[in-house]
Amino acid sequence: MSTAHPTTTLAPGHTLPAWSLPITPTLVVSTALATRDFQDVHHDRDVAQAAGSKDIFLNILTSTALVERYVTDHLGHDVDVRGISIRLGAPAYPYDTLHFTGEVVAVAGGVVELRVTGAVSLGDHVVGTVRVAVGEVSA
Amino acid sequence: MSTEVQELHGVAPDVHQQVMAEAERIRGWGEAAERWARDPVNQPTISNWVEAMGNDNPRWREGEAPPSMAQVWTMYGQGGRAPDDDPLHAMMGVLTDAGFTAVLGTNSDQTYHRTLLVGERVRVTTALDSVVGPKRTGMGVGYFVTSRSTWYVDHGDDRGEPEAVASMLFRVLKFVPRSAS
Repeated sequence: MSTAHPTTTLAPGHTLPAWSLPITPTLVVSTALATRDFQDVHHDRDVAQAAGSKDIFLNILTSTALVERYVTDHLGHDVDVRGISIRLGAPAYPYDTLHFTGEVVAVAGGVVELRVTGAVSLGDHVVGTVRVAVGEVSA
Repeated sequence: MSTEVQELHGVAPDVHQQVMAEAERIRGWGEAAERWARDPVNQPTISNWVEAMGNDNPRWREGEAPPSMAQVWTMYGQGGRAPDDDPLHAMMGVLTDAGFTAVLGTNSDQTYHRTLLVGERVRVTTALDSVVGPKRTGMGVGYFVTSRSTWYVDHGDDRGEPEAVASMLFRVLKFVPRSAS
């Protein structure tokens, strides 16, 4: 298999290309249900607003999954994600845009550690660390 | 003897003591509320997930499940709710009863030991890891509650111990909304 990016170039300071994902009601609802999260604030705007929220909002499992996708789309599909640690901030509402940026912060023992931020107009929605096993670097 | 006095941010000392006593009691349950996934790891559920996420990694069509789906397999599903012996659910109840009615997820720290394979059936346990507070936050005064979930795959008696395949530290803020305090 080929990787999108040769692991030999992965050194601390290596930045990932930015990725922008428009947040639609369909994205919020379909990802919530695909993660088997039926909490009403992720699919029912009336309930979300009655609870004091501006609108429905992205669920945590999806924030994690989008961080995972951002990293593996760049590092290549044959890498193995070992861990995703995220801190949650501003909610991700429909009609906003998630802007992902990322950077390699450490490389050791075949494991690359990256710092990823997903920002919305209100501020950082998610800030996290992703650990990825990239295996042996082949000649 | 420590002379340090903990700042309670307006929480009554007896309420705080009761919250911490209940936390210690529930922590003592250890890994509890074991629950099996509704279904084995399966392609239709993976396919719905990759479509929704826009994740086009071909491995998720060839018998492996995306690592961050680990938790998906053991979600309660529509109409499902946590049993009373679930440590996180029990601690939420203690805090709700003490007036900390609002909840906000703040941290998810997931570790994946390997990808799950189509056909494997996972089970999960939950333990109360810590209760820290009261803290004054931008949302209001509350306690940070951290639980630890561990997902296992069993291989039968002839193949040794259950295999831990993934784990998660999950933290929520359970708080009194500022407008209500």
